[in-house]
Amino acid sequence: MRAMEIVRSVAANTPKNNRLLAALPEDDYDALLPFLEPVVLPLGMALYESSGVQSYVYFPTSSIVSLLYVLEDGSSAEIAVTGCEGLVGIALFMGGETTPSRAVVQSAGHGYRIKAAALKTRFDGGGSLQYLLLRFTQALITQMTQTAVCNRHHGVDQQLCRWLLLSLDRLPANDLVMTQELIANMLGVRREGVTEAAGKLQAAGLIEYSRGRITVLNRPQLEARVCECYAVVKQEYDRLLPPGVMERA
Amino acid sequence: MLAALPRKASRRFLSALRSVELPLGQVLYQPGSASRHVYFPNDCTVSLVAVADSNSALEVGLVGKDGMVGIPLALGVLTSPVRALVQGAGSAMRMTSARFGRELKHNPPLQRALNRCAYVAMATAMQSAVCNKAHRLGPRLARWLLMAADRVASDHFQCTQESMALMLGVRRSGVTAAASRLQRRGLIRYSRGAMQILDREGLLAASCGCYEVIRSLERTAGVRVAA
Repeated sequence: MRAMEIVRSVAANTPKNNRLLAALPEDDYDALLPFLEPVVLPLGMALYESSGVQSYVYFPTSSIVSLLYVLEDGSSAEIAVTGCEGLVGIALFMGGETTPSRAVVQSAGHGYRIKAAALKTRFDGGGSLQYLLLRFTQALITQMTQTAVCNRHHGVDQQLCRWLLLSLDRLPANDLVMTQELIANMLGVRREGVTEAAGKLQAAGLIEYSRGRITVLNRPQLEARVCECYAVVKQEYDRLLPPGVMERA
Repeated sequence: MLAALPRKASRRFLSALRSVELPLGQVLYQPGSASRHVYFPNDCTVSLVAVADSNSALEVGLVGKDGMVGIPLALGVLTSPVRALVQGAGSAMRMTSARFGRELKHNPPLQRALNRCAYVAMATAMQSAVCNKAHRLGPRLARWLLMAADRVASDHFQCTQESMALMLGVRRSGVTAAASRLQRRGLIRYSRGAMQILDREGLLAASCGCYEVIRSLERTAGVRVAA
């Protein structure tokens, strides 16, 4: 991201760019506001390491964070993506002490973070905040389970389309700042597989990929090629989260 | 899980439970349709299956003794995204969704216990997802057999080859071959749907590390699973 872009986007950034925070009733939002601090989330930054203790919960506004599950032998695969529609760090309020997954920024941008204890106190108080976060958790579980079955049964081409669409739904813009290496990590496939699949999409005029930036040119065509796993996840997020959370600005 | 409740709340909660027999293959939830009950298995096991299309599915959770079927209801959602399928016949206690919702509202300790339960279920789903992608069938089958045995608290249980294939997201012939290899090594005995674990230590050594990871998740979150 160029320097001017960063300056501009920091200035324009407010916690309400995170649609989950924006969906809170005014009272709940105001109660959280003093505890939210803005953060820059550069590409590749790890918000959590697996089995590490988490100190903060993150609310992305213009970035995407990928939850990666790491096995003992070092291999990993993405199990979910979260952007401006959600938060990263559900273990903190769900009662898990540590997280078994890694959280890595896979599209650079901004967000807000809050100290774990501050969020947990308000979550345990019940009310709208708890209700909303639990529903988000259920939506996230759906994304994880659908990603699992998709990874098992569908080809790289379809998985790449799913991944691009899920990511786009979680960003305010139409392009992603990222590398093929990262995509390959996300999908748990070899880099050449991603290069080939991305090449096909580019040749068909659906995306443009250049110097670490993917721009989606033809979304309807991308939707026509994706497996049903995308729709399953999308519908569940639409249904479970308040109106506006999944709508693109 | 219920032990976490204050005694009075626990009595009221227990009084709303009804016993039910669940036959092999019964579908408790279909993806997207309303869940009418939550289930607490006694000696049955229930698979949670994510569905890709009419031909492809994959197990993302296995619930038995000490677990609950109906996590979405605990999170305030009335439908399940996955199919819940009785994988080992047996009995369970169940409660209507409406009553369960009311109990939760008056019971912050129960809500907290269920949140932990949901978290472990989610972590287990993640672990299985990556395991299915990264590990070979033999070690995965060994992992699955150990998990299934924990959930019925017995080294004997019923399971068909079709269901094992569905659970692991592979073809039936693959499961047949993997199971016979474990049998030849004297780790299990399998005949006409009856599974018996003969050498638990050996099976543990044959399984991938994911089994231990899932066990330790359950322990740290305070969810009791029979050994």
